[in-house]
Amino acid sequence: MSNILKKVQSRFSVAMLSLWGILFSLFVVTGLVDHYFFTISSIGVTLQLAVPLGLLAAGQTICMLTGGIDLSIAMIATGAAFIVSIKSSSGLGLAILYATLYCILIGTINGLAVGLFGMNPLIMTLGMNAVLIGVFTVGITTFLKGSSTMPDIIIKLSSGSIIDPISWPFLLWIFFGGLIIFLLSKTGLGRLIYAVGDNATAARLAGVRVWKVQLAAYIICALLGGLAGLMIGGQSGAVAMSLADSLVLPSVAAVVIGGTSIMGGIGSYTGSIMGALILTVLSYLLATINSSEAVKQMIYGFIVLTLAWTYSKLTEKS
Amino acid sequence: MNLIKIKRQSWNIGIVIIALGLGTWQINRLPVFGSYEVRTILLGILPIALLSMGQAIIIIGGGINLAIGAEAVLINCLAARFMANKSFGVAIVLTLALLFVSVCVGALTGLIISRSKIADIIVTLATSFILIGFAMYIQPSPGGGMNLTLAHLISGKGSAFLPPLIVLILPLLIIWIPLYRSRMGIAMFAIGSNKDAAFLSGVNVDLTRIKLYATGGLFAGISGIVLTAITLSGSPFASISNTATLNSVAGAVLGGVALSGGVGGLTGPALAALILYFIPTILLNYGIDPAYSQIITGALTIVVVLAGGLIRNRGKKK
Repeated sequence: MSNILKKVQSRFSVAMLSLWGILFSLFVVTGLVDHYFFTISSIGVTLQLAVPLGLLAAGQTICMLTGGIDLSIAMIATGAAFIVSIKSSSGLGLAILYATLYCILIGTINGLAVGLFGMNPLIMTLGMNAVLIGVFTVGITTFLKGSSTMPDIIIKLSSGSIIDPISWPFLLWIFFGGLIIFLLSKTGLGRLIYAVGDNATAARLAGVRVWKVQLAAYIICALLGGLAGLMIGGQSGAVAMSLADSLVLPSVAAVVIGGTSIMGGIGSYTGSIMGALILTVLSYLLATINSSEAVKQMIYGFIVLTLAWTYSKLTEKS
Repeated sequence: MNLIKIKRQSWNIGIVIIALGLGTWQINRLPVFGSYEVRTILLGILPIALLSMGQAIIIIGGGINLAIGAEAVLINCLAARFMANKSFGVAIVLTLALLFVSVCVGALTGLIISRSKIADIIVTLATSFILIGFAMYIQPSPGGGMNLTLAHLISGKGSAFLPPLIVLILPLLIIWIPLYRSRMGIAMFAIGSNKDAAFLSGVNVDLTRIKLYATGGLFAGISGIVLTAITLSGSPFASISNTATLNSVAGAVLGGVALSGGVGGLTGPALAALILYFIPTILLNYGIDPAYSQIITGALTIVVVLAGGLIRNRGKKK
């Protein structure tokens, strides 16, 4: 037993080491291309930009650990940002309450469909995403009419800095990230999430209400998605339909690069944090090279594939 | 013997009955119904029917291709870019070349999945980015064209509904039926049902999977060419590819293909495209805002997959 444990531990440290290596080499390459990158404020900005992706990846990690996936996270984020920006005229607290309720609602629907009705999570959340796109496309011309600028306090919390490299969003990330790591490694729910992902049948036979665990996972994922949406909205100042679109693949990729298995049961949020940082530095690099959107998409997809591949080979051998 | 045959076809018969019912409803709303309307319906279902068939082959083999829409969009853009103002002969040669390209793209996807052992979802999510990026590079904005003679040969003209009907049925006859009856067909169902058991029985799992993805790519290629013939232009939009992918999965599942693999055929998905076409069309006829069509497609996918799963589970318990 302890032998197996040791093996798992050594595998994780090799994986973690290679993640640090990738991050470091990307960091150096970016710095060589753009000398401005090595300044304190530039690193601060990069960390700040990594926060929304980091939060989305947190939600995705929890879903994937149970063996699921949430592809509706883009519209959950965008929707939450829309609701806050439009309802903030009638009080920020109320707006945030509405957004929270929205996230819980979508998370509950996803979780119940996957947990109770045995829907394929991929299809469920893809379909949910399409439904939400439709709802908000109709909504912004009818029942969600209003200002699309974010309230000042959220702009400050998502892009304001305290002392140069340390920004408000980064502090928030440390807080919520710590909470997630604690949840996954130290609480009963965290253990159940791993158990369900590893073998749902075994977990059910051991007396776990599998659907409740899945429900909780999707609700937590939706709430983190909503928070990420507010961060993205705050960083761009205004809300648009395509707000979080470009972060769906990265959120999945960050988790996969970070070593969480899409089949569930294996992985950690620490890995996903590394994945999010790697992808953020990578998109900074791509932006510096100043390529067209088409080339950016190609390189991005290619690198995500290569990283995932390298990672799986690295962990396989050791 | 005959009863068994009927039972095996019961899913398809069910789809035909639903499609006929919806079709009658729709036809009753039309002021005139003739061969022109038949052609309109055929053109409406053709691209999605072909994509659903391609997706079905891959899902039967135990995979899923989230890049199938992107493959079709890429071929669409390549065709529109290079076929504009070309003679009929050149256009035919280009069509064959593009079909070859789509087979290669599919085979490459299958090869990456087999070699890397990364989950299908991750690989195809990443390749969808690469392919869409490539499509945007080829055709930065909507445009291009196609040789009109070839376009009419594929999509018909005026009230000639035979060409699209042939394009719909021909792949079933010359690709699916030989495939179904070949060793590879048996291998496809085998690896979809239980990959390990198939491997132990001497099936070359990797090679079969590559072939399946290549065949799926061929269907995506035909779909892309058909799309070009219908619209006479290429549109490099990720939203088109995402909707197409979602529809292809919905069509495959509605057509009786189990998402868990190993069950289904291609006639079902081809017929299911009729239902996927009729429901939004009928709803839109009743004066519902076109922006709702997204909601309808998404919700329909969820309901279809849910109902399909429930019906199949009931069948198993008996």
